Amino acid sequence: MSLTPPLVELDTASFSYPESTRPAVDCASLSIRGGEYLAVVGENGSGKSSLLRLMDALLLPDSGTVRVSSMPSSSPEGLRAARSLVSLVFQSPPDQIVSSTVEEDVAFGPENLGLPREEIRRRVGAALATVGLEGMERRATLFLSAGQQQRLAIAAALAVDARCIAFDEATAMLDPEAAEAVLDLMDALVASGKAVVHATHDMAEAARAARVIVLRAGAVAFDGSPAELFEGGETRLDALGPSLRLPPCARLASGLGLRPLASEGPEALAERLAVALGPRVATASEAQASTRRKSPIGVAQRVNAEVPPPPAFELRAASHAYLKGALGETPSLMEVDLEAPRGKVMALVGRTGSGKSTALQLLDGLVAVTGGEARAFGESLGDPRTDLRAMRVRAPLAMQRPESALFERYAADDVAFGPRNLGLKGAALVERVSRAMSEAGLPYDLFRDRRTRALSGGEKRRLALAGVIAMEGEALLLDEPTSALDPETKLSVMELVLGKGRRGSSVVMATHSMEEAAMADLVAVFDRGRIAAVADPETLFYDLYDPAWGIRRPFAVRVAIRLAELGFELAGPSGKRPLRVEELARAASRAPASGRGGEA
Amino acid sequence: MRGIEFFRHVSIGRYLGGDGFVQRQRPTTKYLWLLALMVSGIASSSYLGAALPLAVALGLGAAAGIPPSFFLRGAKPLAPLLAFVCLLQLAFSWPGDATPVLLALGPFQATEREAWLAILTVVRTLSLMTVLGLFTAVTSEGESVHGLEDLLAPLKALGLRPQRLSLAVGVALRFVPILAGEMEAIAKAQASRGADFGTGRGGPISRARAYLPLFVPISVRALERAEALAEAMEARGYVEDGRTRLACYPKPRGEAASRIAAVVACAASFVADYSLRNR
Repeated sequence: MSLTPPLVELDTASFSYPESTRPAVDCASLSIRGGEYLAVVGENGSGKSSLLRLMDALLLPDSGTVRVSSMPSSSPEGLRAARSLVSLVFQSPPDQIVSSTVEEDVAFGPENLGLPREEIRRRVGAALATVGLEGMERRATLFLSAGQQQRLAIAAALAVDARCIAFDEATAMLDPEAAEAVLDLMDALVASGKAVVHATHDMAEAARAARVIVLRAGAVAFDGSPAELFEGGETRLDALGPSLRLPPCARLASGLGLRPLASEGPEALAERLAVALGPRVATASEAQASTRRKSPIGVAQRVNAEVPPPPAFELRAASHAYLKGALGETPSLMEVDLEAPRGKVMALVGRTGSGKSTALQLLDGLVAVTGGEARAFGESLGDPRTDLRAMRVRAPLAMQRPESALFERYAADDVAFGPRNLGLKGAALVERVSRAMSEAGLPYDLFRDRRTRALSGGEKRRLALAGVIAMEGEALLLDEPTSALDPETKLSVMELVLGKGRRGSSVVMATHSMEEAAMADLVAVFDRGRIAAVADPETLFYDLYDPAWGIRRPFAVRVAIRLAELGFELAGPSGKRPLRVEELARAASRAPASGRGGEA
Repeated sequence: MRGIEFFRHVSIGRYLGGDGFVQRQRPTTKYLWLLALMVSGIASSSYLGAALPLAVALGLGAAAGIPPSFFLRGAKPLAPLLAFVCLLQLAFSWPGDATPVLLALGPFQATEREAWLAILTVVRTLSLMTVLGLFTAVTSEGESVHGLEDLLAPLKALGLRPQRLSLAVGVALRFVPILAGEMEAIAKAQASRGADFGTGRGGPISRARAYLPLFVPISVRALERAEALAEAMEARGYVEDGRTRLACYPKPRGEAASRIAAVVACAASFVADYSLRNR
């Protein structure tokens, strides 16, 4: 249709990393035009990052060509075009900052273009205003939040006047609020005529784009609209790649026998569902529904009435400040009271910087309280007589991105580090390591002699978790164990965590996924260093929820609430309101009888 | 102190921002002060000469709104190393050392001269760390790169590339706190698997041994971070030649006086040194 040449064009482009036996990008052909919004999906290791790097000429194809503005990226002028017309925003926020102040960082690109000072100043100002960082020019980049760092990277792309901005899982390490801000910026960029390429694991994010590409083993397996992609349901997706899952809206729709739409909000889906369920019911049930939402007090009492078993962990008026007494002192927790009961899974949610990680590290004795008290299994961690090492071993903590602490050459040796510290040797050691590895989904016989460095991202995460599981402590502390994993690996890690809970371990895990939090027994919401609420997920997401927490309700809950407003109160057999898409689908399939009968 | 917080003790490479009299000096002036104080700290052989840069740097730090504790904390991780060096100073004698023996333990004799030299080592190290800490606290990475480029600009005539060196210096300084942060995360991950960090127990040898498993992942992370930085710079079209600058450094009031003061401070330490030696 359009006669203008594509902005970026891949023509049977292939690329292999030197040490690898199979290509990372395999004979990929596609073209991107100005103003286009394209999502690239595929499992860990399917070649998404490499594809983006080919577009930016950070990698050059081994065969085939990549053209930017009609010039091959292998030529000097093509390289210049690629670097100035295509900008990359990477996954890890701190890794892409090149300067120590906000202003210097945004100016770095324009300086490389040799622009005059006044022009650079104008562009820096405009770019910072677009991403909402104006007034922070002189701020040290070290002190920005992860979300601010990602927006800074977008500003840097705008300042070189890039016509295509490629995001490499740029929301994977952000909290929901910051991720939403970046996604909104993508929409705004497209509206202003920029092309956006977004590589992501998250199908709901991908569905926001106008066009989706599915990569499988480096090859383009699908190229079309999200609606076309989701039309065939899970079976179609399974054929394209085992780790692809429908976004919650499409999963729910197809579970209910409705046509899956690409990017449907929970409200719209609820309305469609209401139509399918039958005529609108009487207002009595509507009134009932709204009073129920307005009176959380009764529900809170219900929570308190349950007598919890003696806690595994306690924080009593616990405070903590980083760099206490030093320059740059930052309070992270303020007089927090929290109890994690034994044998339960507790999820900690809240914005980045709200104190979740600090709380976990306090519970493990890795940092010390600067006020109040932290106790584990009834023992005070601040007491100088407490053996901190013994306490840590009883409740090992998997830090954020635990794979970055792997250090042994062979997989099994790394898992053995902890048990060896416990004094295990010989057959007992092998048995312990083997048990932990198979629990983490890495069968000992297959993986013990694999080189740690050669494992995939998902395997490294599992290996690191195996190292923590091998401690066989009474409790497990996990800091965002599923972050930046593909949906399939996320699920298997969550199953592992929940399995631990079912077998009687106490688990406390921080997460940014409300879908995951909804699977826990208890959820604690952190807000700016304080606890905003603690309750079971149903009560928390239905009755206590406050948008000021900076988290969103799980998708199924948002649909159910809208349905209740429309007169359909959905509940499971035990009267439990649905938290997961599958639960909602089951409840809705029973609804024609119970939903309409509700008001009789 | 129980608990693990490495970042607390990092005073080098942490740009703190701010817009005071010290921060507003042009990068070249800051380099001049850095050079003047470093030279007097290294070259002087008297306590006064070695302590002078420390005092000046702490004073300038206070003027920039940075408390002395910020700099002195940075010396703590070096304490075991310093103790070791002092022990060597005391254990081995200097030829022709005729100063009184303070302490004799079998074949080992600690003389007055050795004791003074040990103290000098400590003072000198504190001086140098404080001066470098002050410089990086008030100089952003861009400023340190630009300043060095300007200072080394004459070398271009010899066909050398000062940009490369100044970028390397700027990046190296910035990596100190980054690596401290990475090291803290890895130490915590291993402590939670039973490694002995931050428990306040154990002798110096067992403590030192606990750091061995840190070495591999921290090296790997350092390389990964370096690679990520290189890639990010390349993605933003980094070129060595033909770069322009956003930053302009207006000449602050009293610049000449400030530069003369730097030279005078350096000279003063030499004069103090000389007069003490010849007394």
